[in-house]
Amino acid sequence: MPTFLILLLVAFSIFLIGVFVFRPQVTATRGGKMTAFLGLFALPLLCLGMGTSSELEHAKSTEFCLSCHIMEPYGKSLCVDDPQHLAAAHFQNHRVPPNEACYTCHTNYAMFGGVKAKLGGLRHIYVYYLGTPPAPENIKLYEPYNNRECLHCHAGARSFEEGAVHTADPDLLPALKANKTSCISSGCHGVVHDVASLKDAKFWKGGN
Amino acid sequence: MLSTNPLERKLQLSGIILILGLVVEALCLLGRGPIAFIVFAGLGGLLLFAGFVIYLYSLVSVSHPHG
Repeated sequence: MPTFLILLLVAFSIFLIGVFVFRPQVTATRGGKMTAFLGLFALPLLCLGMGTSSELEHAKSTEFCLSCHIMEPYGKSLCVDDPQHLAAAHFQNHRVPPNEACYTCHTNYAMFGGVKAKLGGLRHIYVYYLGTPPAPENIKLYEPYNNRECLHCHAGARSFEEGAVHTADPDLLPALKANKTSCISSGCHGVVHDVASLKDAKFWKGGN
Repeated sequence: MLSTNPLERKLQLSGIILILGLVVEALCLLGRGPIAFIVFAGLGGLLLFAGFVIYLYSLVSVSHPHG
């Protein structure tokens, strides 16, 4: 739901609540009591629900993730003009929605994955504002990247299942699917966000 | 400004806290960063929750004269 509609609802709720604050005697009538329930409970609850939904949706956006200064190099790495750079190739070719690029790859596609991603985000905020944030090139994932996140889209795709490199070794595909061999292993798709070498990189201008 | 009637006073208090909560939520919806998200969920949510509790408590705490 567009933010301005939620804001309109909030404004209406504030107006209605204001009536009960300045004229509480209107609740003496049956109609007044029902309107008070609407204004003092139902509408604010609806505002809270819709606002939370809107905020959670916004928290998935690339703009939201990159709003922290420390994440800027990771945002820049999405525009590196080199198809060997995994994140850049996904972002530039819309293999992930560009407006939710970070979330699409860094959420967890298991049960409660979205909740886990949000809790991870809270931890980022804690470290960023109250802890000692590492230099961008020293940022590490909390746990090794799970192939499940890649396979959420790639499993069953012809390019993945029948790709020449993937089928050259008959043990490779089962190992990838079992997360025994990482997709981002060195020599495979090992270059993801190479933020340490951004100063020497050539950038794609098309995304601006 | 607060009413002398206990029920009305609780409704007014609940209303004031809810208005504060809604204002915080509205400002956070206009903000775009992680801090807005935290304030929305933390401060805004807490104020609204407190407003709801006071309102609901005001309903159950009303004493009705028998007969």
